[in-house]
Amino acid sequence: MSDAPVLVVGAGPAGLGAALALAQAGVPVVLTEQRDAIGGAIHRQPASPQVPKVLRPARHARSFAMLAAGLAAAGGRIDLRTSTVFLGLDGADNALIDDRRRQRVEALSPAGIILATGAVEKVHPFPGWELPGVMTAGGAQVLLKETGRAPDGPVLVAGSGPLLLAVAAQLAAAGNPPVAVLERGRPWRRPTALAAMLASPANVAEGVGYAARLLRHGVPYVTGAAVTAVRTQGDDLDVMVRHGAAERTYRVRHLLVHDGLRAGASTGITETRDGPVPVLLAGDGREILGADAAVADGRRAAAEMLALLGRGAASAGDEQTLGAARRFQAALARLCEAPPPSPPPETLVCRCEGLRVADLDHLRPDASMRELRLVGRFGMGPCQGRFCGASVAALRPDADPSLKASAVPRWPVRPVSLASLAGFGDPAARTNPRIHQDTEDR
Amino acid sequence: MTGTFFWQGRRVPFGEGQTLAAALLAAGLRDLGGPDGRPARIFCGIGACQACAVTVEGLGVVEACLTPAVDGMRLGPAMTGDDHV
Repeated sequence: MSDAPVLVVGAGPAGLGAALALAQAGVPVVLTEQRDAIGGAIHRQPASPQVPKVLRPARHARSFAMLAAGLAAAGGRIDLRTSTVFLGLDGADNALIDDRRRQRVEALSPAGIILATGAVEKVHPFPGWELPGVMTAGGAQVLLKETGRAPDGPVLVAGSGPLLLAVAAQLAAAGNPPVAVLERGRPWRRPTALAAMLASPANVAEGVGYAARLLRHGVPYVTGAAVTAVRTQGDDLDVMVRHGAAERTYRVRHLLVHDGLRAGASTGITETRDGPVPVLLAGDGREILGADAAVADGRRAAAEMLALLGRGAASAGDEQTLGAARRFQAALARLCEAPPPSPPPETLVCRCEGLRVADLDHLRPDASMRELRLVGRFGMGPCQGRFCGASVAALRPDADPSLKASAVPRWPVRPVSLASLAGFGDPAARTNPRIHQDTEDR
Repeated sequence: MTGTFFWQGRRVPFGEGQTLAAALLAAGLRDLGGPDGRPARIFCGIGACQACAVTVEGLGVVEACLTPAVDGMRLGPAMTGDDHV
């Protein structure tokens, strides 16, 4: 039986949950994190102790403290590598990781891989979404947690989903309440979805707290309103909004957009259980269940990995937690469900390659995903379709998704410097599978 | 570490532990596009969208939202080589 470590990618709640469960079962773990600190987007810590704390639920702070304490207690069983970016799998099932601090690419030969790389935000494209000043609401939230500082000048928050409320409340608490929150859906018209959410009181209380904060700051929460276009106006943005039959323009400095979260997009790699190196997904990168359930889903993935490696039972007893989270997320999805306005021809779809809706319209109506990529070049840039892939799929709902350009994304899934790669062929850079022994000696 | 890095030669101050993205935004530098015309700016904050990729002298292309600022770093738009750093 091999003592090779299990590689866990991403030190957010799911990755930490998985790593701790594996370590408790006596399995060595290499835990990589692209940032310089653990926590992931949800538990992004202030850049320094001087940074003001951002409004957030106490249960998140408690959960993170428990995970951090568990990591400290695990000692040498978990080899944590921060500032290390997962580049993908090579043809021989090696996991390639880029230590950005030491500028060195390494190939690990793990016993199994758990990808806990989180969700990616959905952003339905509209003309001007690519302009400076337009950010995702989640991206702005991560920056706010890091700096404690809200962006200067008027901010508009728009799109769909509960994150709009959270970010708006956090901006208000940080001293810059948004001019408005525009929700495309009409949640008040979905009483059954609202009622179903009451089964998760902690989440409801969190939402009510955010709403109360917005009310106190006089931030309007406008439902049934959608952004149709954005234009640059000097240093500002003119945001065109459709609200029922009415149109209005907001002049702001920043537009924060968000249309929900998407799983499976951060690496594009899918689960495999029958290969020599099983690959499992965990957390919001597998299924959008939220931060609380992500820890449980990490444990679930760890238990399944242990079973696949012949080292334990397949269940960690977290099914009830995951089921409740699944029902809550389904209710949330129903609550805010509303189709986005269809983007006009000039709308940029694929930022990396500079391709617009009109470019997509020029391709054969029955083109497969493979053709859209290889002929149309959609999703062929640095993001490899992680961001634009969903937009392309929404605009071409009939394109056969099984005919992708390649089933497994080619490495590197992220940029890597030639200098870092140069040392890669050097046998000294290839890590011994029994890597845990090195870490235990430290 | 607190210090200064350079965006296309312009001095950008940063605070302890800050990423390049946080410091660039605080300095009002929102457009990270280069001469190739590809729109670039800080967008997703989690290293996924690649819209904030920048070229850092000696490091190559990295995501500004993930990269801790270091005193004296020289950076510029991605994919343009060191001429624009």
